Amino acid sequence: MYYPEPISKLIDSFTKLPGIGPKTAVRLAFYVLEMEEDDVLEFGKALVNAKRELTHCTNCGHITDQDPCAICQDESRDSALICVVQDPKDVIAMEKMKEFSGKYHVLHGAISPMDGIGPEDINVESLIKRLKDEGVEELIIATNPNVEGEATAMYISRLVKPAGIRTTRIAHGLPVGGDLEYADEVTLSKAMEGRREL
Amino acid sequence: MHIKDIALTTYRNYDRLALEFDDTINVIIGENAQGKTNLMESIYLLAFTKSHRTPRDKELIQWDAEYAKIKGTIIKRNSRFPMEIVLSKKGKKAKLNHIEQRRLSDYIGALNVVMFAPEDLNLVKGNPQVRRRFIDMEIGQIQPRYIYHLGQYQKVLRQRNHLLKDLQRRRNEDATMLHVLTEQLIEHAAIIVERRFQFLNLLREWAAPIHRGISRELEKLEIFYRPSLDVSEDMDLDAIKESYIAKFHGIETKEIERGTTLAGPHRDDLVFYVNGRDVQTYGSQGQQRTTALSLKLAEIELINKETGEYPVLLLDDVLSELDDYRQSHLLHTIRGKVQTFVSTTSIDGIEHEALQEAELFYIEEGIRKK
Ligand SMILES: Nc1ncnc2c1ncn2[C@@H]1O[C@H](COP(=O)(O)OP(=O)(O)OP(=O)(O)O)[C@@H](O)[C@H]1O
Ligand SMILES: [Mg+2]
Repeated sequence: MYYPEPISKLIDSFTKLPGIGPKTAVRLAFYVLEMEEDDVLEFGKALVNAKRELTHCTNCGHITDQDPCAICQDESRDSALICVVQDPKDVIAMEKMKEFSGKYHVLHGAISPMDGIGPEDINVESLIKRLKDEGVEELIIATNPNVEGEATAMYISRLVKPAGIRTTRIAHGLPVGGDLEYADEVTLSKAMEGRREL
Repeated sequence: MHIKDIALTTYRNYDRLALEFDDTINVIIGENAQGKTNLMESIYLLAFTKSHRTPRDKELIQWDAEYAKIKGTIIKRNSRFPMEIVLSKKGKKAKLNHIEQRRLSDYIGALNVVMFAPEDLNLVKGNPQVRRRFIDMEIGQIQPRYIYHLGQYQKVLRQRNHLLKDLQRRRNEDATMLHVLTEQLIEHAAIIVERRFQFLNLLREWAAPIHRGISRELEKLEIFYRPSLDVSEDMDLDAIKESYIAKFHGIETKEIERGTTLAGPHRDDLVFYVNGRDVQTYGSQGQQRTTALSLKLAEIELINKETGEYPVLLLDDVLSELDDYRQSHLLHTIRGKVQTFVSTTSIDGIEHEALQEAELFYIEEGIRKK
């Protein structure tokens, strides 16, 4: 079907988002045409700013608009305790729970030889550096409870054991094989309590 | 348990078909290529979400149709519920009691089915893969949890084989990750092997007397597990794990050289002995067929023992292949307790007594004629 170029470009952009197919993209694009100009401007700015102003914290890897991030800078948090997660979304899920007072480390993925992702491709090196610099005593490894997440947890545990650091694995109050981000806060807090030694 | 009815929509050569079944014997009669096996296959599919003859779901959808649907009503001693499978180009949906099930292990096991078809001779004659599939399917339908471990095992195995390839090509030198994956693999491997041992113990117990019966007391059937490492059936889970740890330790260099995993349940096998000799190598056609039949009949009893209900039995094209003695022995064993589907090109080859209580279905080009 023929669309004037500005619309077809917009449709194209929408299809780049996850979970949006061609039909939805067309619907969204036409909706945008009906919106107030101010709202559209606001929307565009928000998109660009989110991208421009957010970076990854060089210390923990979480998304942030200041480096190091607010959590890393927060003196009231316990830096001897680090919760290791796969994704920035996991940090946000944990923070909603409001029970964890340690710090975080975001790996940005899990080790998966099949997908060509080795230990050097995830954010482990800076974790090892933090162990010394920040006097870390315990790592709580909260990677996803699937095959790759488990393997990553075991890998990290083997890596830090020689340094005498306690590693615990978040317990499986979580749906087996599921993704952490779908877990509700109650399940998460239970999972934190029941963590086990690796 | 039994299947009360089934409804097929644009499935194989069935456009639309709704059938009510008898809870004893149902005989499907038709010329070649009319849809007898297709109908049997649909019942199998309803139980396992997979066909017994093709791994490609696409083939099950009628040519030119968008999707295929199979719906059936299952009756158990204390319950009655619908099951439904919809196959489309997008994938497969399985509903149990109207609710969509996301995990295979939440669906399989609700309907227990045992099928005996000419290909089952491969259970004895064929390659190890056929026997592993048999044992995995059967344990799976009694213990859905087994399917979970099998699935996890296969995922870890794939990861491990990839890593071994990388190590082989020296793209990677880090042995820590290999050790992690080995530990993960053993975790599931040991459980799989332990469950297989338990299953074999039961299977043996049932199969030996059944085989003696079918062979008029002439043959003794023995079943052995042939593992890819040093484990035996008297070992508990920890002992099996220990044995795996030692094995993988010993073959690490070789595994890296070959770039693949060299031990584990995916390389194990079953062996059948009749009167002290390996039937695969030394058995006659008849002995091989009897062995396969004994295993299937044993399975029926085993499922009843484990779940408290007899499974549904599908006999595709095999009844008329059996001699009179074996046929009546078979019909005798199942009479009155197992809902059975028999397919045949002609009812002449089937025992009269059994036919009397049977419901007959004449099938022609995907339509029931009478
Ligand atoms: N996806 C499909 N769509 C339409 N027809 C199909 C499809 N797949 C198979 N068929 C048809 O189904 C028929 C085969 O049916 P089936 O295998 O059930 O035969 P049968 O009655 O068991 O025959 P036999 O006695 O030879 O075993 C063939 O004619 C084949 O063309
Ligand atoms: Mg057939």
